[in-house]
Amino acid sequence: MEIVEKAPVPVAAPLDQSVMARIKRIPTAYLALWIIGAICVVALLSFMGCSLCQYSFDQTSSDFLAGPSTEHWMGTDELGRDLFSRIVYGARLSIAIGLTTAAVAFVIGTLYGALSGYLGGKVDTLMMRGVDIAYSLPDLLVMILIGVLLGRGTVGILIALGLVSWMGTARLVRAQFLQLKNEEFIEAARAQGQSGWNIVFKHLLPNALGPIIVALTFTVPSAILSESTLSFIGLGLSPPACSWGTLASDGWRSLRAHPHLIFFPSLFIFITVLSFNFLGDGLRDALDPRTRLGKKSH
Amino acid sequence: MLALIIKRILLAIPVLLVVASLTFVLVRIVPGGPFDADKNLPPEIIANLNAKYHLDKPVPEQYLLYLGRLAQGDLGVSYKYVNRTVNDILADAFPVSLQLGTISLTLAVLVGVPLGAIAAVCRGRKEDVIAMFLSTLGISVPGFVIGATLIFVFAIKLRVLPVGLWESPWHVVLPAVTLAFSPAAYLARLTRASVLEIVEKDWVRTARSKGLSQWNTVLKHILRNSLIPVVTVLGPLTAIVITGSFVVEYIYAIPGMGRFFITAVMNRDYDLILGTTLVFAVLLIIANTFVDLAYQFLDPRMRIED
Amino acid sequence: MRNIGDDRYLISAFAKRLGHCFLAMLLLISVLSLSACTRPRSRFETGVLRVNLGTEPPGLDWHTATDSTSFDVVSNLMVGLTQYTNKLTCAPSCAKSWEILDGGRRYVFHLRDDLRWTDGKPVTAYDFEYAWKRLLNPVTAAQYAFFLYDVVNAREYNTGKLKSADTLGIKAVDDHTFEVRLRKPAAYFIYLTAFCVSFPMRKDVVEKWGDRWTEPEHFVTNGPFKLTKWQHEYKMELAANESYFDRVPQVKLIKMFMVPEASTAFALYENDELDFIDNRSFATPDVERYRNSPEYKNFPLLRANYLAFNVSKKPFTDVRIRKAVAMAIDRSIFPRILRRGERPATSWIPPALPGYSPDSGTKFDPAAARALLAEAGYPGGKGLPKAELLYPNRDDVRLTVEATQDQLKRNLGMEIELVNQEWKVYLATVRKDAPPMFRNSWGADFPDPETFMNLFTKDCGNNDTKWSDPRYDALIEAAQGELNAAKRADLYRQADVMLCREAVPIVPTFLATQNIMIKPWVTGIAINPLDLQFFKDVVVSDSQANQRETR
Repeated sequence: MEIVEKAPVPVAAPLDQSVMARIKRIPTAYLALWIIGAICVVALLSFMGCSLCQYSFDQTSSDFLAGPSTEHWMGTDELGRDLFSRIVYGARLSIAIGLTTAAVAFVIGTLYGALSGYLGGKVDTLMMRGVDIAYSLPDLLVMILIGVLLGRGTVGILIALGLVSWMGTARLVRAQFLQLKNEEFIEAARAQGQSGWNIVFKHLLPNALGPIIVALTFTVPSAILSESTLSFIGLGLSPPACSWGTLASDGWRSLRAHPHLIFFPSLFIFITVLSFNFLGDGLRDALDPRTRLGKKSH
Repeated sequence: MLALIIKRILLAIPVLLVVASLTFVLVRIVPGGPFDADKNLPPEIIANLNAKYHLDKPVPEQYLLYLGRLAQGDLGVSYKYVNRTVNDILADAFPVSLQLGTISLTLAVLVGVPLGAIAAVCRGRKEDVIAMFLSTLGISVPGFVIGATLIFVFAIKLRVLPVGLWESPWHVVLPAVTLAFSPAAYLARLTRASVLEIVEKDWVRTARSKGLSQWNTVLKHILRNSLIPVVTVLGPLTAIVITGSFVVEYIYAIPGMGRFFITAVMNRDYDLILGTTLVFAVLLIIANTFVDLAYQFLDPRMRIED
Repeated sequence: MRNIGDDRYLISAFAKRLGHCFLAMLLLISVLSLSACTRPRSRFETGVLRVNLGTEPPGLDWHTATDSTSFDVVSNLMVGLTQYTNKLTCAPSCAKSWEILDGGRRYVFHLRDDLRWTDGKPVTAYDFEYAWKRLLNPVTAAQYAFFLYDVVNAREYNTGKLKSADTLGIKAVDDHTFEVRLRKPAAYFIYLTAFCVSFPMRKDVVEKWGDRWTEPEHFVTNGPFKLTKWQHEYKMELAANESYFDRVPQVKLIKMFMVPEASTAFALYENDELDFIDNRSFATPDVERYRNSPEYKNFPLLRANYLAFNVSKKPFTDVRIRKAVAMAIDRSIFPRILRRGERPATSWIPPALPGYSPDSGTKFDPAAARALLAEAGYPGGKGLPKAELLYPNRDDVRLTVEATQDQLKRNLGMEIELVNQEWKVYLATVRKDAPPMFRNSWGADFPDPETFMNLFTKDCGNNDTKWSDPRYDALIEAAQGELNAAKRADLYRQADVMLCREAVPIVPTFLATQNIMIKPWVTGIAINPLDLQFFKDVVVSDSQANQRETR
C-alpha cells in the first residue's frame, strides 16, 4: 500500500447509495440495522393495533408474578399481566423517544455547537455561557413545568427530553470545530473561496462525526431511561400503558425475588442500545470522508 | 491564560444571576407549594407560614430580598428542614459528594480512557467487541439496577464489602464503582471514536512513517489530540459527578447532596432548590473554564477568545 | 520508508501494554476488596439498638415538625402530660393525675414533683404553659397548631384575631398544677396530651439558641433518652437519660440510621447491621421471603386508603353510580397484589376503634352493582363517560389504581382513565379542583374515631369530595361532646353507615399494615396501630438471644 505524503483537500463524496453499500460490508452494523428495523416494525405493528402476542398488554390474570414458562415466556407482573406483551407494547414509546430525542439533540446540538465553534471568539464565549445556563437549570423542575403546560401525552415527553439533552452534543461539536478549523484542509478550502456553509457542512461536520455519533448513541438509552422519571412526575404515560423505562424502574426492587421483571426489560434496552452503537460505528465509517477516499489502513 | 480566567470569573456573575433568576421564577410557577401536605392546613396557618418565610410579599419584593441575601452569601433557609439553613445543609452534604465524586471520576477516567484506546487500536477484533459490550452495559443498564446487583453480589452473597452506609473506606468502593459505570462507558466509547479519527489523519501516518519511536507516536500525538472530546465531556461530567447522584446516594444511604436535586424539588423547598442549582452552576462554570484552558494545552492551535 | 503494514505490530504492542495496565488495576481492586472480608464482626453490641429512620427528620422542634419520622425521634426524647400504653389508652406520665370538670370543659393536671430536664432543672407547669402558647403563637407558624383549637380562644390567637395570649384557656396555676379550658367538651382531648405537639418546652433554651436549639449540644429534653449525636441525613444517636424520672432504659444507646432505600436497609438487617426494621426497610419481595420467619410480624395500622369521588362531577353526582362502584370492587385483590398483608376494608372506621361495625359498608356484589348502574341509566356501562382517576405516583398506589381500573372495567363495563401526578401537583389539583375520582389515604393522629370521621364534615379542610350533609355534621358534633363511651360509639357508627352505605362519597379500600422484623437478641419494642415506636423498654443482650433460640 502506498502512503500519500502531501495532504490533498478531501472532497466529500455525495451521500449516495454507497453509504448503504458500505454499511452492508460491515457485518455487525448490518445486523444491527436489521435488529433495529425489526424492533421498529414490531412497535409500528402494535401501534396499529395488530399485536403479535397471545395476550393483550393490559390483560390481567390471577397468575401473579409467575416466572418464565411456556404460557408466559417472560413471566407475568404483579397484576398477572404477560411481560412479553408489555415489552412489545412498550417498544413503541421507548423507540420513539430514543430516536426523537437523539434527533432533537443532533439537530439543535449540532447547529448550536457548529455555529459557536465555527464563529469562535466573542460569539463562542457568549453561546457557551448560554449552554452553561441551560445545563444548570434543574431538569426536574423544567420537566414538571412542561408537564403542567402541555398536559400529558407524547408531545410533552418529547419536548421535555429534547430540551434537556442537546447541551452535551453542542459542546462536543463546538470543541471538534474549534480544533478542526485549524486543519490544513480547511484552510485550503477557505483559500479556494468556498462558502462558510460549505465548509461547515461539507468539510468540518463529516470530519467531526465520530464523537458526535457516540454522543447520539448515548442519548438513545439515556432518553429511554429518563422517560421513566417523566412518568414518575406524571408527564409520561397513564397506566396501564407502559414503556421499557417504566418497566425497568418498576421492576428493579424485585431483583432478588422476581428477577425476570428487571431482566427482560433491561435485556431489550441493552440489545437496542448495542445495535445503535454498532450501527453508529458503521455509519461513522460509511460517512467518513477519508475512508471513502480509500485511504484506510486496513 | 490569566486573561481567560479573569474574564470567565467576570462573566460568571451575569451567568449565575440569570440561572438564579430563571430558577427563582420556575419554582414559583410550578404548581404546588412548600406547605402543601397530605393533611391540609387551615388557611390561617398557611398564612402564618407564608409570613414567617416572607412568601406573603409580592414576588418582585421576594426576588429583591433573595438577591440581597445572596449577595451576602446567604442562600436562605429550608422550609422542609425547619431548623437548618441552606448553607448548613450544603456545607454538610457537599464534602461527602465531592469525596465520592472525585474517586468515581478518577476511576471512570482510568478505566474508560484506556478501554477506549484499546478498543480503537484493536478495532474490529475481540478486544473491541468486549469493550463495546462493557460500555453498552454501562450506559443501558440503569444505575439502580447496577447498584442493586453489586450489593447483591458483593455484600450479600460474597460478603466482602458493606451493603451501604458511609463509615470506612470500604464503604466507598461499591458506590464509587456504581457511580463510575456510566461515565466510564461514555468515556470509553468517546475515546475509541476520537482515537480512530486521529489515527487516520495524514500527519499521524507521516509521523509514523518517519520512524519516530513507536511510543512517542502513539502516546504523544494520538492520545493528546484525541483527548479533546474526552476533555469536553469531562467538564459537565465533573460538575454532575461531584455534586452527587440521587440514585447512588439513595441506594447506598450516603449523606451527599445529590439527593437534594430531587427531594428539594419534590418538597418545593424553594431556597434549597436555588442553592443546589447555584452550587452546580458555579462548579460547571469552573469546570468548563478548565476545559477551555485544557484545549489550549492539548492543541495550542485552538483559539479560545481571551 | 517503512511499510504501513508494520502498524499491525506497533498497534498490538500498544494494546498489549494498555491491556496489562488495565488488568493489573482490576486485580488490585479485587485484592483490596477481598482483603476487606477478613475483618471479624460480632452480630450485635450489648445495650446498643440499631434501627432505620428511613429519612432525615425534617426537624426535632415538636412545634414545627409534622411528620412521622420526626415524631418517632421526639417520642423517645420527650414525655408529655400523659403517655400511651401498649393498648393505646392514656396513662399518667408527667401528670400523676387529672380531673375533668365543668362537663368536660375544664381539665386540671397535677404534675409529679420529681420531673427533671436533661440539664437537671425541674419540669414545671410553666414549661407546659410556655409550650402551648408558643405552639399557638402565629409567629411560630406551627403547622399543627390546630390540634389545640378546642382550647378557649386558641383559634382566635393563632389566626391573629386576638393579639394577646393572656385570654387563652391555658394556665399554670403553680409549679405542679396545669389548667386547660376548652370552648366545648371534646371527648378525644385527653389523647392530645400524649401527642408530641403538647409536650412541654424550655423557654430559656429556645430563646437562647433560636432555630438551632434542637442540635445535640443545645437540646434539653425530659424523656427516657437524650440526643447525643446528629449527623444530618445520615445518623442520630440517642443515649439513655440517666436522670429520667420513670425507669432509666436498659438500652444504653440507640443508633438511628437514615437509609432511604428499603432493599438496602433490608440487606443491612440481613447482615446484622440493623436490629429492628419496619415498613421503611421492607421492599415488598422481602416481606414474602420472610413471611414465616419467627423474627417477622405484621399488624394493621390506623391508616386507611380510600377512593374518593368529587360528587359535583358527572357521572358521580348520582349516588347510585357511586354505590355501584363501591359494590363492584373486590377488596380482597389489594392484599394479593400489594403483598404486605393489607387488610381489606369496607367501613371508614377501622376495626380497632369504637364505632366500628363490619356491616357499615357495602359488600362486594357485582350483580347488584350492575343492576344499580342500569337503574341509573347506564346498563353494562354503555353511555358512561370515561372518568378520570387521579393518583399520586407511588409504586403501591399505582398497583392499587390499576387493579381498581381493571375491576371496574370487568365488573361494571366502566372505563376509567388513570392520571398520575407528582405528589405536590397532585395535592394542589385535588384541593383546587378535584377530578371525578381520586385516590387518597388518611392516617390517624390519635386512637379515636374522631380523627377519621371529622374528615368529611363540611368545614374540614381535608374534605375534597365536595360532599357534605348537615345530618352527618350533626352526628359528628354530637359525638364530639358525648362523654358516655357507648353512646358516642353508636353516633360514630351511624355516621359511618351514612358515609359508606348511603351517600358513598368515598369507597374505603384497605388498611395499611406495619411489617416488622426484630432480631432474636432484642426484646421490649412497643408496637401499636398508631405506629408510634417507643424504645424505652428495649433490652439488647445475649441471654435474650439464647432464650429465644432454645424456645
